[in-house]
Amino acid sequence: MLSDLNYLTFTHLASLEVGHHFYWQVGNLKLHGQVFLTSWFVIALLLVASFLATKNIQRIPSGMQNFMEYVLEFIQSLAKNQIGEKEYRPWVPFVGTLFLFIFVSNWSGALIPWKLIQLPEGELAAPTNDINTTVSLALLTSLAYFYAGFSKRGLGYFRKYIEPTPVLLPIAILEDFTKPLSLSFRLFGNILADELVVGVLVLLVPLFVPLPIMALGLFTSAIQALVFATLAAAYIHEAMEGHGGEEHHEEHG
Amino acid sequence: MGMMETFFLLATEAHSEAAESGGFGLNFDLLETNLINLAILIGVIFYLGRKIVTNILIERRKRILEEIGEAEGRQRQAAEALADQQQKLAQAQAEAERIRKEAEATALAAKESILAQGAKEVENLRKKASEDLNTETERVLAELRQRVTELAIQRVESQLTSVLDESAQQELVNNSIALLGGNQ
Repeated sequence: MLSDLNYLTFTHLASLEVGHHFYWQVGNLKLHGQVFLTSWFVIALLLVASFLATKNIQRIPSGMQNFMEYVLEFIQSLAKNQIGEKEYRPWVPFVGTLFLFIFVSNWSGALIPWKLIQLPEGELAAPTNDINTTVSLALLTSLAYFYAGFSKRGLGYFRKYIEPTPVLLPIAILEDFTKPLSLSFRLFGNILADELVVGVLVLLVPLFVPLPIMALGLFTSAIQALVFATLAAAYIHEAMEGHGGEEHHEEHG
Repeated sequence: MGMMETFFLLATEAHSEAAESGGFGLNFDLLETNLINLAILIGVIFYLGRKIVTNILIERRKRILEEIGEAEGRQRQAAEALADQQQKLAQAQAEAERIRKEAEATALAAKESILAQGAKEVENLRKKASEDLNTETERVLAELRQRVTELAIQRVESQLTSVLDESAQQELVNNSIALLGGNQ
């Protein structure tokens, strides 16, 4: 379906490389190579940043250390707000990894001129504009909140399915499927849509006109990273708390 | 319209080139790679973001510096207080030691004086006792003497009454007279 977008009406103008992938064949698996390349780039970027920040730790932080500490504080406060003062600590790495990876992925897609590098097929873009990436992140979140629930409440975790009333059991079960689904599709859809809009606009009017959309894209990208991390933390909190009463569903974008 | 056509031409050319090459490569087409827009966007973000981020970081650094300064001040105060109290403790210990020594000395003196006093008292008592003993002995002796004397006198008297009858008295008197003038 997506490849239909490929040749919209401007077949003769240029192609938007949606649905084209740079395939790597590993055994029976076909991997989307361009996603791996950009993911590795993002991971390397984060690793280098962490390394630079922790290379020469000072008591009074400056430069990179200061910046990364600020980022860490931000993530900590995010996790603390969602999970609560008592339980948030062990979840900071997970939530922080989600946020940083998604954020840097999104922004790398929006800011780095990937198109300078030409692949045999497909094109480099944000890793998060591939559904596989976002689904894997969302499934990890599901695993995380199941783990949180079981480790905190043991088999009592299942009580949350029939907690207010057993009538809601089907919905409660359904929720376990909709959570990763909505997480992954929200992120994937936002990023892909943003890149598509920018791509189309660039094809139509190459100069200056796409700029506001690109700026908006940066904003949405940041918000999406925040939303993903926040919702993951909220799900973890909910699994640990039980009483699925208060839902933190704020559907952004 | 002419410009638009050039665009189309450029774009199709670039696209066909890319499609033809089919391998890794670099694409320096300014328009197709969106380089200009990205450069502007990155520039703007750097220009705006740099200031904000720098401000935040400077603020943070300043806050940390202040907090560390405060903490260090508190630490210094605490160290000072600790030294102060330690000094006081040492003083108190010295005082305690002094008091203990003094007390020991006092105790010793008291002990000695009490011992001396006791010894003196014992001595006094002994003296008094011996005195008492002496006087008692003397009294008893005197009593005994008197009693003995009395008994002797009694005995003598009784014997006298039995022994000294008229003739004996006569004889005695005679003897005495004889003694007085026996030589004549």
